[in-house]
Amino acid sequence: MNDKKKIVLAEDNSTLSLLLKFKLEKEGYEVLVAEDGKKAIELIEEHNPNLILTDIMMPFVSGLEVISHVRNKLKLETKIIVFSAAGQEEMVLKAFSLGASDFMAKPFSPNELTIRIKRLLL
Amino acid sequence: METYKIVQNYLQELPFELQLVWILSVFLSLVVVIFVIYLKVLRSSLRKKEALQEEYKKRYETLLLSFLFDESNDDKLRNQENEFINIINAEINDNFNRKIIIETLLKLKNEISGEIEKDIQHIYLQSNLKSFAYQQLKSKNWYEIAKGIKELTQFKVEEAYSQIKILINYPKKEVQKEVQLYLVSLFHFEGLKFLSSLKSDLSEWDQIELLEELKHLENQEIPEITDWLTSKNDSVVMFTLKLAKMYNKYENVDTLIQLMNHENQKIRLQVILVLTHLQVLDAKSVLTSKFKSYTEEEQVAIFKLLENVFEPSDEKFIAENIHSNNFEIQLSALKMLKSINKNTFSKLLINKMAFKNSTVLNFVQNN
Repeated sequence: MNDKKKIVLAEDNSTLSLLLKFKLEKEGYEVLVAEDGKKAIELIEEHNPNLILTDIMMPFVSGLEVISHVRNKLKLETKIIVFSAAGQEEMVLKAFSLGASDFMAKPFSPNELTIRIKRLLL
Repeated sequence: METYKIVQNYLQELPFELQLVWILSVFLSLVVVIFVIYLKVLRSSLRKKEALQEEYKKRYETLLLSFLFDESNDDKLRNQENEFINIINAEINDNFNRKIIIETLLKLKNEISGEIEKDIQHIYLQSNLKSFAYQQLKSKNWYEIAKGIKELTQFKVEEAYSQIKILINYPKKEVQKEVQLYLVSLFHFEGLKFLSSLKSDLSEWDQIELLEELKHLENQEIPEITDWLTSKNDSVVMFTLKLAKMYNKYENVDTLIQLMNHENQKIRLQVILVLTHLQVLDAKSVLTSKFKSYTEEEQVAIFKLLENVFEPSDEKFIAENIHSNNFEIQLSALKMLKSINKNTFSKLLINKMAFKNSTVLNFVQNN
């Protein structure tokens, strides 16, 4: 039986998502990558992950909508970390008010992200 | 053959106008067909290019990540690094490949910090990618030069300083802007030295971009700015005044006061704003003594400054302006007078008739 913890990663920068997938899989997690918010919602509904990593700005469905969907429609308590770019402070505040657990401002260190994930999944 | 003859006879028998319509119809139909074929070919070639781009992108992403996450011993890592750089060097002669490699490196570099960012930087510097950017600096096309500078800025290539600095007065504004951003992004306040040799105008947008770049620097020690305040380039003076305000340059107050004699009204106005921000008491006597010689806009600005630094000794000057035709000056003067000397202000209330419009007076009295 696969007892790896599942992480859904929603990020439209393919290189970054590939890097994070590499990094987190090496740490022992199962990573499901979505290139937009719509795909992320599908993956979340299908796999019920232990953690969600989502960028704020994404095509079709934004990170904020993903958080709102998880908290208000699916009624899940899954921990969510949001990625934000410089100048998106207001978006980050909105993300927290919608139920995000933590945030990381880009550019960020993958090692720091791993530490935060471990702490949230304790 | 029979049909052809029938059509030919039919056309020949037609009046000239109808013949012309037929010819035009056939011609336009042909044009439409040619365009449809052209669009189909174009779309198919674009799709092929896109697919190829995607394929190469995935290839370089995988190569890059397997290099970044290789955990083998040092020698093996060094070999792997060389191998990766050799692959890059072999493929970057093709513009298409080089563009994708640069995009892949930047996509990661812009979003990641720490060791991985340094590794990406290292790959760029160790490969021949840098040489292509240097070559672009010598291009005859301004956009190639601008692209080359931008790339060297993004990969923080400090060694390109001497080759980029000489382009500061390049005829194209876009190139100048990239040079300025290179200098400030990499050399921070030291990079601002280009202001001493800048001949062209620093646009409002350029100034905003430079200030934004400077705002994010850790070291906020700004160098000496006196030379730039006295520059012959008015846009440099305007930008330096913004720096003086942003970084509270009290040590430049004397130069700022001298700038009140500048022939450019926009500069004089900006100086007053800076002096107001710095709350310079010394500036007060200079500005009030020549008050009448300034434009109305400057006079309003002077009163705004005075509101921050007025003293009882300013009563005479303030009282002289309570009947000003300018609403802002009158309001400011009355407010200050009420604050300095309540008796004088009360006398004004008794003699309201002396005012063309006593509404301002009533407003100040009640607030």
